[in-house]
Amino acid sequence: MNAVDSVEAGKRYGPPSDADSASEQSMASLLRPHVRSFAAVMILQVVGALAGLAPLLAVVELGRALLSPGPIDQGHVWTVVIGGAAGLFVRLLFTAASSGLGHVLDSRVQLSFRRQLAARLGRVPMGWLSQRRTGELAKVVGEDVSAVHPFIAHAPGELVSAFVVPLVSLVYLFTVDWRLTLITLIPVVLAIAQVPLLMLPARTREQQEFDAAMGRIASSVVEFVQGISVIKAFGGSERAHRKFLTAVDDFVGTFLRWVRGMSVVAAGMQLALSPPFVLLVVLVGGAALIASGGMAPADLLPFLLLGLGLTAPVAALGHGFDDMQAAGRAVGRIKEVLEVQPLPEPARPAAPRGHRVELRDVRFSYEDDHEVLRGIDLVLEPGTVTAVVGPSGSGKSTLVQLLPRFFDPTHGSVTLGGVDLREIGSRELYRLVSFVFQDVRLLRASVADNIALAVPHADREDVIRAARLANIHERILELPRGYDSVIGEDARLSGGEAQRISIARALLADAPVLVLDEATSFADPQTEQAVRRALATLRGDRTILVIAHRLETVADADTVVVLESGSIVERGKPGELLRQNGKFAAFWQSHRSAIADGVEVHGGVRQGDEPR
Amino acid sequence: MIRMLLRVLGPEYARAMRRTVVLMTVTAIAEGLLYALLVPVLQALLGSTPADAWSWLIAFGGAVAVYAVLRYISDLSGMRVGTTMLRGMYYRLGEHLARLPIGWYNAGRVGEVSVMASRGLLQALGVAAHLLGPFISAMVTPLTIVAVMIAFNWQLGVAALIAAPIVVAIQAWAARSMAATDAERHERDKEATGRVIEFLQAQPVLRAGGRTGERFTMLDDSLREVQRASRRTVLAMLPGAVGLTLTVQAIFTVLLVLGAYLVLGGNIGAAEILTILVLAARCADPLLSLSEMGGKLRVARAELDRLDKVLRTQPLPEASEPVRPVRHDLEFDSVTFRHGDRTVFDGVSLSVPEGRRLAVVGPSGAGKSTLLQLVARFYDVDAGAVRVGGVDVREIDAETLMAQIAIVFQDVYLFDGTIEENVRLGRPDADEAEVRAAARAARLDEVIERLPGGWATNVGEGGALLSGGERQRVSIARALLKNAPIVLLDEVTSALDPVNEAAVHEGIERLMAGRTVVMVAHRLRTVQRADEIVFLDDGRIVERGSHEELLRRGGRYADFWNISMAQIASE
Repeated sequence: MNAVDSVEAGKRYGPPSDADSASEQSMASLLRPHVRSFAAVMILQVVGALAGLAPLLAVVELGRALLSPGPIDQGHVWTVVIGGAAGLFVRLLFTAASSGLGHVLDSRVQLSFRRQLAARLGRVPMGWLSQRRTGELAKVVGEDVSAVHPFIAHAPGELVSAFVVPLVSLVYLFTVDWRLTLITLIPVVLAIAQVPLLMLPARTREQQEFDAAMGRIASSVVEFVQGISVIKAFGGSERAHRKFLTAVDDFVGTFLRWVRGMSVVAAGMQLALSPPFVLLVVLVGGAALIASGGMAPADLLPFLLLGLGLTAPVAALGHGFDDMQAAGRAVGRIKEVLEVQPLPEPARPAAPRGHRVELRDVRFSYEDDHEVLRGIDLVLEPGTVTAVVGPSGSGKSTLVQLLPRFFDPTHGSVTLGGVDLREIGSRELYRLVSFVFQDVRLLRASVADNIALAVPHADREDVIRAARLANIHERILELPRGYDSVIGEDARLSGGEAQRISIARALLADAPVLVLDEATSFADPQTEQAVRRALATLRGDRTILVIAHRLETVADADTVVVLESGSIVERGKPGELLRQNGKFAAFWQSHRSAIADGVEVHGGVRQGDEPR
Repeated sequence: MIRMLLRVLGPEYARAMRRTVVLMTVTAIAEGLLYALLVPVLQALLGSTPADAWSWLIAFGGAVAVYAVLRYISDLSGMRVGTTMLRGMYYRLGEHLARLPIGWYNAGRVGEVSVMASRGLLQALGVAAHLLGPFISAMVTPLTIVAVMIAFNWQLGVAALIAAPIVVAIQAWAARSMAATDAERHERDKEATGRVIEFLQAQPVLRAGGRTGERFTMLDDSLREVQRASRRTVLAMLPGAVGLTLTVQAIFTVLLVLGAYLVLGGNIGAAEILTILVLAARCADPLLSLSEMGGKLRVARAELDRLDKVLRTQPLPEASEPVRPVRHDLEFDSVTFRHGDRTVFDGVSLSVPEGRRLAVVGPSGAGKSTLLQLVARFYDVDAGAVRVGGVDVREIDAETLMAQIAIVFQDVYLFDGTIEENVRLGRPDADEAEVRAAARAARLDEVIERLPGGWATNVGEGGALLSGGERQRVSIARALLKNAPIVLLDEVTSALDPVNEAAVHEGIERLMAGRTVVMVAHRLRTVQRADEIVFLDDGRIVERGSHEELLRRGGRYADFWNISMAQIASE
């Protein structure tokens, strides 16, 4: 996969734009198993929150008892006090239970999300996976699931009580005095009236600029950090630094504009909702009503105590809004992963006969308009090595990735033993096709487990045999705990050593079809030798397809296929191709000139590079 | 928290910050004092002379107006300080990152720093900026109200005051107990992230092992650990939150009971007690919100902690009186270098005369690349010295040292910009002809011809839009343009296909001509023409000499050579 390919593929697999609208619904389906717990959290929270009104009502009742003409009913006063205290106790108990349960539920939901994601990622097409940055996907499983936290642990309880409590209060207040209730609502109306001001096009634009400026900071930081060695080596520190600082200034400027645009409105809203202002409104209204004799003085109390609570829903809308938006975006990304369709499994898997691989008129494109492979016809016979050569971007990587079915061809077919790969069960396919790719990944597990990954119940002897063949046995014995050393904890392996472990893996897996992207980036002579030995050992009856980077491998292949812009331009035995004096010969010459140094000094060994 | 902010920010922001905090405190006190006016208002309204309330209400309205102005100013000041701080913090971080040794930037750091320097910083400061006001107000306003209560009725006021030390104690205790579980949780999260990445990257192998259906136990275990850690966090959080609520509510209950007792005893008027209870109710809400705010502040704090740690990492020391080397020979004088707890070099000595080529050969992990990095002072040695032109690299000004050296790395990083910009990085003041000449020498011209945008083609982030070989040619052109007397080559051609390798090789030859060269290579053919070859294994030089000498000696190098040369001959 060259860089351009992945960029293009990235576009194709880019996030769907309509993620937001459907996220609620998918959220619901993900949460369905937890509905009862959610209900419990909500009910506990609502009961607790309503009980929290009791002490306030107690003060109100106390006021009525004290202000009523005539002697004070002592018994009533104490009943009211006890009622208020009991309400507080209930509130404490229920909200604590709700919050505790909510958080426990949250951790359970997160675990189940993560398990579902892991399960899905274990089944998505390899091609999809290979074009995603691992860090990005890990972020979905990690941070994004965590970001759902406010949705689950806080939203149900807090939002519901933020609306239920004011609603109950409102009803109660209406029964006390409807005129003063309406007056009490004035601040709320004032605040809501300003909401449209926050959504003006100018504000929206500022918000977008803000996001974009943030993005620029992020990318300039990435560039700064990733290119740090170049920056230092070429004294470009000034430039990259300046770019970062420009992005910062840019961002701060946008931020300030945004803040300035918002601040008057925001301040206005906050003032309208602030307790002093609400109290002022209530008191002025109350004073007018009481002075005119329209209302009993004691009836003012509930408004002073409960009236403030009416602003809660508006405040709740603003409060945590960012969190909720972030959670929404996170859910979108989670959903996107969960919705990736695995490559379809055959309903009735067919069993391949033999392991001859045949590509018939295979076309492949990541995007509709750009074909990476344009009509490949290729037969890989058992017992032969086929080497693919060609410039980067010619489609080599894509071609070999069709065999382990990282992708399905967009046109034509790939058959193994006469059966289309799509008709073979995935487990069976992976048993038949093994691969060594450049990008080696070792697990943080013992060396033996790493080698035996594809054959979990392999004997230690078999593991050792594979390790010996792969030139890594002795190195393993040097590790502190030999084959039981845990990679990454007991031992660190170099790139070349890791590659040899992966070769040992393939040797042990012993699959009849081997796909090998000749590793070059870390290859040292021992690793190169391991590759050669692996090829020689495996040869026998196996079908081997290799992306060759070294002339030795090419020369040693039975068939060479020269790929250019997604088509096979030449094929044949290496010697024959060389005589044809075509693309392959040119390729060969250019390589030889690269290593021409060797001729003068070591002419004797050079015949090793001649094709047979 | 504020102290931490100030430390991370540096002292120049202390005044603005302090002014904002004072402003916010004054606003909170004003709000508390404002409620004092409720007492006469309510006494009038609930008493027998409601008409008296008007004059007090006007005073109350005036006070609300003053409060509104104060609040607006303090909010604005908070935002302004927040923004200035944000800018200052970004600048400080940027400058610091530029000064940190390259050795500090390992693979994990790239992600960490990227997140920290973009979103992390904004989040930390954003939370601090948004919550600072409410936090101060939630602490100060209730205290002021209690003071007002004491002024009107000392028994009830003192009863309410009891809450203060308890609330403070609970806050402190909760913060401490949370810090421990937070740290554990962070650890578990990191572990799980590692497992997820492993799980993803190992997909091909896991699938080949038929392990797609069942749960991958190592991952599942770590996910369950995350859940356990998160439950422990909840358990640690509950006592603090419940304790706070319990205290606030208990005090309210005490006031209710005490008030009822006093009023029934005739010690206090009905209007007075009701006013005080209204005031008490005003205290409760902000206090209860403290625990939630505490949680958010903790998150911001953790982010600030990470930032603080980075900012406290020491950059490599700069020489106070830099020396400018006049020659361009290189020398390693019994160099010992440790990376973490691993000794990479143990007393390595070698020298490269001016204009000569040294090739470094050895198995992977032998420290070959590190050798180059020590010349360019990506790290400092632990013992011995690396000298350029006879001068210890630590005595040379960083810019001067870098001006002497051109490096071509195995992994080429290009900046998001045009090809021309990336080449020019080598020497920004080079003229057109020089840039073209360098491109031709690096055989970059044929790449440029092929590209639709030519010289102005954008290379994408990190150079992602070019192939490896094309990137390599850009980096060679860059090095050629730089025209530095010392050239360091790090496995330059190892990841290229033969066609690109040939092209790159030609450029490299031109780059090396007449310069002091240290090259690391495993393609042994490329090292034969070096004046000297050292074979490095496990941080020590095990063999040195010219190609022929080493072959004749029949030691490690010869083995290496034979392995890499005797391939097909054996079949």
